[in-house]
Amino acid sequence: MGLFKFAQSRSLWMMHFCTGCGAVEMPPTMTSRFDMERFGIAPMATPRQADILLITGYLTVKTLKRVIRSYEQMPDPKYVIGFGSCTLNGGMYWDSYNTIKRLDLYLPVDIYINGCMPRPEAIIEAFVKLREIIAKGEANGWKKYKENIKWYKENQAKVFDVKKWSVIKWE
Amino acid sequence: MGIEGKIVEDIVKRFGDKVRAEVQRERRVKFYTDPINIKPLLYYLKEKGFIHLSSISCVDWIKENQFELVYHLWSYEDKVHLMVKTRISRENPEMETMIPVFPVAETYEREIYEMFGVNFPDNPNLKPLFLEDWDGPPPMRKDFDTRAYVREKYSMIDLTEILRQGMDKIKGVRDEDEIL
Amino acid sequence: MVLKIIEYLGIVFGVIILGLLYGGIARKVIARIHRRYGPPFYQNILDVLKLFAKSNEASHGVMFNLGPVIAFTGVLVSLFFIPLGSFRPLFSFEGDIFVVFYLLVVAPLGMALGAGEGANPNATIGIARGLTLMLGYELVFFLSVLAPMIHYRTASIATLVTVQSAFPHWNVFPFFISAFAGLIALHGMMGEKPFDQVIAPHEIASGPMVEYSGKFLGLLQLYHAVGIIVETGLVVDIFFGGGNWLTFILKTFFLFIALVIINAVMPRFRIGQAVKFYWKYPLVISLIGLLIVTIWR
Repeated sequence: MGLFKFAQSRSLWMMHFCTGCGAVEMPPTMTSRFDMERFGIAPMATPRQADILLITGYLTVKTLKRVIRSYEQMPDPKYVIGFGSCTLNGGMYWDSYNTIKRLDLYLPVDIYINGCMPRPEAIIEAFVKLREIIAKGEANGWKKYKENIKWYKENQAKVFDVKKWSVIKWE
Repeated sequence: MGIEGKIVEDIVKRFGDKVRAEVQRERRVKFYTDPINIKPLLYYLKEKGFIHLSSISCVDWIKENQFELVYHLWSYEDKVHLMVKTRISRENPEMETMIPVFPVAETYEREIYEMFGVNFPDNPNLKPLFLEDWDGPPPMRKDFDTRAYVREKYSMIDLTEILRQGMDKIKGVRDEDEIL
Repeated sequence: MVLKIIEYLGIVFGVIILGLLYGGIARKVIARIHRRYGPPFYQNILDVLKLFAKSNEASHGVMFNLGPVIAFTGVLVSLFFIPLGSFRPLFSFEGDIFVVFYLLVVAPLGMALGAGEGANPNATIGIARGLTLMLGYELVFFLSVLAPMIHYRTASIATLVTVQSAFPHWNVFPFFISAFAGLIALHGMMGEKPFDQVIAPHEIASGPMVEYSGKFLGLLQLYHAVGIIVETGLVVDIFFGGGNWLTFILKTFFLFIALVIINAVMPRFRIGQAVKFYWKYPLVISLIGLLIVTIWR
């Protein structure tokens, strides 16, 4: 129904999980100067209550396990925003032995924000764009994850032990 | 002469030629010694006021086939930074643990074990500190090829390779189909 | 008969929408105090609609699912005993104040059963704090309400409303000491800072709401919305004179905004400090108010 799509695009709850150094741009975006709450976005404490998972910056293998566990605990529909150039191609840590290079191989990403770090104005533009694609019905990362779960799990298995760290059943 | 000179005199008088001393500048003194003398030297320095072990670092001298362990000590009274350096062999590297002298050495030795592979036999807590489920050689050694490891494990997009192929294409050397 | 059912369903729907609007306007007021724009005033309605459109929630069993249902039901049933403006309550008899007090306790107990099922220690801590805080404010609230009850020799809310007919005859003016203690107790009952230890998002990851997602969380938001109207409505009926539907809405609105303004500028007490506070000053104030009434008699 149109009203539910409208409500889903105007009320996005973000999970307050600051994964990398890009998270230092979140407090300015949340507080009075670049107010984020006027777009309906509020930080929530647990993955069970959140819609958006914001991957701010690089992800080491240690954090990736926990992020995937949190992502699988979120209820549908859920969206992932890749923040900073480390999620695109590894960014500054492109030849580091412990960080992942392409977030798209392990989690379905709906919007990327490039920059190192992106300024709050860029973050707000990304949220407005996310709102538009949700209203059109094109933000289907969560459906892609369910349909291609074997491919995602194969990629994840290359970097860590998937059986120990997964919450959902995929085979 | 100053404080640094007095410290050097003191140590040389006590330990003779087992220790080689060098004053680098104001507030920086270095001692070079063999691994067997480290523990008595650290005990003596601790009595002399160097009560703070800031860190233990490790240097990989791959051409000389040796690891060098550096113990960084600081004295609050004299305000002098002391570096006590030893060399150990690079095949099966092992070193005595300094936990009886400075209990905080446990964490630093854990990190050196994880990153360089130096074994500390009596350290009770040599679990990995940062690298969970690590399956390669100790990563800080100079013979660890980071790029090959990353390319194989993380499907890295090698930007230098793409750039080189792009430049070759512009110069007309390569065919368009051979670009990644 | 059918007309009455439709009327009461309409009242329930109206109260839900009104409570959500109050919550949204409260967010706007807090934002303006922080010198920023806030979300639109209908934001809470959008939040609830989004929550009901979620799927794939996790569940820990039947009792876990029933927790929010019991909470919402408890507060909804107590709505039917309170005169809302010119709508007479569904049930009204001598002694219905005590029934309302009991029903307002059912909701946190239902949440306690549900939150204990989900195996999360944050939920247990949150509910324990909520029930401990209740030890503080329930007594003060009851003693402050007892003063007009003793004076007018009645235990029915509807009678208390009809006794105060027009503006100068509001109960708050003769019983201002008891009303003051009652307002402090109301602040704790609504869960506004400095008494929001139950939710406490940064300490215990939102307390009993921590494992609920999707539709259950939507039910909890509705419980909070109806709770606003029920609790402020009770105080407005007893102390500020019910009035017709327009003045009732205005009075509850201004009372709620006064509490929200205090909420926006204060930090949070520790639970021990909160209970001790309630047993020191507000208790003494309400006892003084009670004493004055009995001596006056």
